Amino acid sequence: MEVQNAAHRDANQVSVRLGAEELSKRYGNIEANRDVSIAVAPGEIHAIVGENGAGKSTLMRMLQGIEQPDSGRIIVDDQIVSLSGPQRAFALGIGMVHQEFMLAPDLTLLENLVLGDEPVYRAFGAASRINWPAALESGERLAREAAAHVDWSRTVLTTPVHIQQFVEIIRLLRRGTRILILDEPTAVLAPQQVEDLFDLLRKLREDGTTILFISHKLKEVMALADRVTVIRRGEVRYSSPVAETDTDTIAGHMVGGLDTPVATARPTSASKIETDDVVLDVQMLTTPIVEKSHPLRGVDLHIGRGEIVGLAGVSGNGQNELVECLVGLRDSDGGTVSLAGQDITHLSNQHRRALGIGYVSADRRHEGLALQASVEANVIAGSQRKAPVSKGGFFDRKAMRQVAEKRLAFVDVRYGVLNDAAGDLSGGNQQRLVFAREIAADPSLLIVSQPTRGVDLVGIAAIHAILSDFRNSGGSVLLVSEELDEILALSDRILVMADGKIVGEMNAAEADIGTIGKLMVMQGGGDG
Amino acid sequence: MAETATIDRPQLSLWLEKGIGLAFPFLVALLVASLVLLLIGENPIDVFSLMFAESFGTQRRIAATLSAATPLLFTGIATAICFRSGVFNVGVEGALVIGGLCAAFIGFTLPAAMSVTLIPLAFGFAAIVSAIWLYIPGVLLARYEVDEVVSTLMLNFVAFGITGYLVNGPLLSEISGNNVTPLVHEAAQLRRLLPPSTLHAGFLVGVALVVIYGIWTRRTPSGFESALVGQSKRFSSAVGISIPTTIVLVMVLSGVISGMGGASHALGQLHRFADGFSPGYGFTGMAVALLGRNNALGIFLGAVLFGALASAGTTVQLFSDIPLDIVNIIEGTVMIFAVVELGRITLLRRRSGG
Repeated sequence: MEVQNAAHRDANQVSVRLGAEELSKRYGNIEANRDVSIAVAPGEIHAIVGENGAGKSTLMRMLQGIEQPDSGRIIVDDQIVSLSGPQRAFALGIGMVHQEFMLAPDLTLLENLVLGDEPVYRAFGAASRINWPAALESGERLAREAAAHVDWSRTVLTTPVHIQQFVEIIRLLRRGTRILILDEPTAVLAPQQVEDLFDLLRKLREDGTTILFISHKLKEVMALADRVTVIRRGEVRYSSPVAETDTDTIAGHMVGGLDTPVATARPTSASKIETDDVVLDVQMLTTPIVEKSHPLRGVDLHIGRGEIVGLAGVSGNGQNELVECLVGLRDSDGGTVSLAGQDITHLSNQHRRALGIGYVSADRRHEGLALQASVEANVIAGSQRKAPVSKGGFFDRKAMRQVAEKRLAFVDVRYGVLNDAAGDLSGGNQQRLVFAREIAADPSLLIVSQPTRGVDLVGIAAIHAILSDFRNSGGSVLLVSEELDEILALSDRILVMADGKIVGEMNAAEADIGTIGKLMVMQGGGDG
Repeated sequence: MAETATIDRPQLSLWLEKGIGLAFPFLVALLVASLVLLLIGENPIDVFSLMFAESFGTQRRIAATLSAATPLLFTGIATAICFRSGVFNVGVEGALVIGGLCAAFIGFTLPAAMSVTLIPLAFGFAAIVSAIWLYIPGVLLARYEVDEVVSTLMLNFVAFGITGYLVNGPLLSEISGNNVTPLVHEAAQLRRLLPPSTLHAGFLVGVALVVIYGIWTRRTPSGFESALVGQSKRFSSAVGISIPTTIVLVMVLSGVISGMGGASHALGQLHRFADGFSPGYGFTGMAVALLGRNNALGIFLGAVLFGALASAGTTVQLFSDIPLDIVNIIEGTVMIFAVVELGRITLLRRRSGG
């Protein structure tokens, strides 16, 4: 590339404002980024799309100087730069708006705006007096330019999220940011606020700001971006001007094809669902808007006896929130959940478990298992007050050991001794351990989230077999997975979730990856 | 059957690991103390053997050591019971002082004719009041996420203030000058086990509590649950263990044990409540719990170790020109290296997301 000898160029003639060349980053065994190259032209809005865990965040962290790449180069204004830390990136004009805003909650918006670069009457080092009228004036001017109305005297705590975001953005601009990176900026916004944000970003583009926009909502990408780059499993899979592509193409590259071999085939229609035998019934379930989560906007679904219902969707569209609501680990603010006809909307997790809900968490390392505790403790947990483990308030150690061994053998968990820490097991065995515990409680409904994440092929086959067996013996399963192949292989019925709602439903027999993928990334048309 | 053979071996190595973990801070402390002794021109070996003789040499010295260890048995367990659930309760000191005052109050106000029934009454009253005392920060933490370190630490000062006021005012003894309550009735005093040493029946109560604590941690559902909560809060709530209930439970139990510790010290050692009732037993109890890795046997050994240092310290400088400070240096170093473990606990708390 001729990038190196482009030493003295006018800023207007720069061809790459921000770029990456063959960046790679590895965390232990996981290759988070492999030879990632992107080029963002000046004054461009460049969208990076990909599922959670695809490697977008790693790339952004490297572009911001928070992480150092293992190999590869970062380009700013056609020059190779070394981003030794976030300060260096900031000095070069790279500013990032994180999902979690970097604002001091107890200070006013004006104080936050000038924090770190306060206008002063006369520079006297630490003794300088802040020129608040000048600060307010600059705030008002910036707000006026953006056609926004901001009450600068409010504290961040009492300010709505979209205004916080606005302040965060113009704070960066005020301090010289020319390259703005936004990490899923619309996740916390209502539809009208999304429009306002886009107007602001378009205006910034006109003024020459370069914008890197991370999203997984294709509708937004099509509406806003000039160019789109798709990242999947740590690699750039696709890049194109938005004008020359369409959502189907992007969606196809995002969710990928059949690149995971699947070990189990879907059982035939041996298990017929009795429509009146509903195990789980969810109606109009909603959750409040909380930072770092996607709210549910009215979820309706039901699961019959002896049925695996697959829930597909790009991660971060409310699946985790739905799962947590169903198992009782998150509060809902509307709608009902009933289990076998009984209203359980306001019951605790403890109570729901007693009524027959089992839960395999997507976060195996923190929620599915206590990694430092023994294999035995992990497989017994939840049954510690029941006979024969506990008799008259005391443990029967021998019975406990027998129960543990029986449970572990049932799903063939490979372990050394019962005293080994659960964290010492392989990923697949850890997940089997979770299943061993959850199935032992004889639930009527298993809520299973990302059951094969980080599990090798043998483990995947075993876990799929466990789920099929469970269903064949009359159990019901809600299977949430980012792996479409897994959902297609196991489910009797498939639901697609997007933007906190169920946007599509189909029988597994008539489902195909293309249709599901399209439903996953199209945002349901915005009809409330 | 091959299984059973493999079960025992790693447990042995586990014990070895635990033993080294327990001994490590102490060994480092001896090393540091040796350096200091060499610097001031003393022979460390001589000094240590004198100190050992002063703490374990004769039956009387052993009794003195165990007597000094007695309050630490209580405070060690009271601390460990919270620490193992990830509840960083530093309010044992205050609960101990409150319990001591309550027990003494029962011991000198109720009629002497009630004889030995005074003792269980005093222990019970102390346990209840101290339990309520720590129930408050427990609920604040469980319901409103009020940081327990701050609340329990502050409650200590409240406890010192209340007891200090009472022994200088309403409960001041009319005959014995300043800052003490009247003596408790003779019937309410705990028996001395090996007179003339001050070792008293409270030691046996403490040992019994250590045993009960050991059984509770290993053999009961609630002991199991509270350990899991300490390992991972998210995991625990996902398998149906109530975190708030567990937090309040361990705080209340900690209060009960602290209160009994206060009662033991008031009825067995001082026979009254006095200002400056505890020279920091609650805080030394934290070192004991950390040194003992929250393990029952470990806590017992840790309490005896600190008891030995205390009893050796008081006599060692009577018989040699070694300054008392050397004992303080050893104690301090042991605490610092026991606190290394504390750092690990707080790190775990952060990682599990509080």
